[in-house]
Amino acid sequence: MTLTIFNGSPRRHKSNSTLLTEHFLEGYHSIREGENIRICYLADPRMLQENLEVFNQSEYVILIFPLYTDCMPGLVKEFFELLPVKDDSPASVKLGFIVQSGFPESNHSIYVERYLKKLAQRLNYSYLGTVIKGGVEGIRSMPPSMNKKVFKGFYRLGLHFAKNGEFSGEIMEEMKNPVKFNNMGLIIFRFLKLAGLVNYYWKSNLKKNRAYRQRNNKPYGN
Amino acid sequence: MIITIINGDMQPAPNEFASYVSELLSQLQKNITVNHYQLREMNIRNCTGCWACWWKTPGICAINDDMDRIFAAIMASDFLIFASPIMRGFTSSLLKRMTDRLVTLLHPYIILINGECHHRKRYERYPDFGLLLQKEDDTDNEDLDIIRVIYDRFALNFHCIQRFAWLTDQHKTKEIAYDTHNI
Repeated sequence: MTLTIFNGSPRRHKSNSTLLTEHFLEGYHSIREGENIRICYLADPRMLQENLEVFNQSEYVILIFPLYTDCMPGLVKEFFELLPVKDDSPASVKLGFIVQSGFPESNHSIYVERYLKKLAQRLNYSYLGTVIKGGVEGIRSMPPSMNKKVFKGFYRLGLHFAKNGEFSGEIMEEMKNPVKFNNMGLIIFRFLKLAGLVNYYWKSNLKKNRAYRQRNNKPYGN
Repeated sequence: MIITIINGDMQPAPNEFASYVSELLSQLQKNITVNHYQLREMNIRNCTGCWACWWKTPGICAINDDMDRIFAAIMASDFLIFASPIMRGFTSSLLKRMTDRLVTLLHPYIILINGECHHRKRYERYPDFGLLLQKEDDTDNEDLDIIRVIYDRFALNFHCIQRFAWLTDQHKTKEIAYDTHNI
């Protein structure tokens, strides 16, 4: 199969989307060793024409992007606006998405999932589904042991994809957890908040940048 | 009362949507102050996800472009209208590009709203908004519902309320002006 991965992160190579893609591909290549998978970065405007051509030539396309205001980033939407509608019937080209978000719950991403499904239909692609993974912001600053489960999940997702040409429903369900916090989740959140850990990532970066005292600045009024 | 229309139409005027918005503008301007930002005539760049606005220069975006004017206008407004023709089932990428940048107006710290994580307010209050949309050829009710629901999520993130989602082919500019006055 010709699989192409489109990366819709504004952070390009230095993105969490790239990191997750690497683990997905490690799993993929464990089955299909040496297969050349092209990765295209949508954030590079100089590559636009080439990206569109590659998209049109691929048999399988996976588009991974970070959730921006509970939706796709503007640059991903821009790409969607330029994609041609396929005219083959039945739809032969397969399109799947991976949406990753900073917040731990997948509930933030399920609204754009509905859009993506409709988009695939609209463009006449066969829809492979949308993998949703929350809790991704900050993984770069975590020790590797903390991320083991996340990376393992993407490895397994890639392995299954290489074998079957689809996302594993079972792994997708696992990754979606938690959709929303249950009572235990809420208790843990409140405990972490009391312990000052919920915003530790932000506080430590504010302090590192000597901006902690300005954290509540209101440069545009009220 | 100050209203700001943020217009994500990507086609140059004259066109049907542009005429609709200019008619709406003249209706609204009879009684209130209206700002109109035509995004395609401004320099608005993509958010790069650098977090400078949260942890280097809190509240200030690192990108030096025309967003500065929009941030100021939004915070000085009582109500916003996001205007856009529907393209591929959603508002334009130009409007979305502007929307992505609005994280600058929030605070990085996380709070729970309805048991769900959200970023807390940086400012005391944020203006409510309405959507003004123009259908594309294949727009159906599902598309409209998807857009409304995603903008309800935006409202939740931005501590405000989506007051309406109007369609240019179903609502007269007079009605919109009348309802906007009463908000």
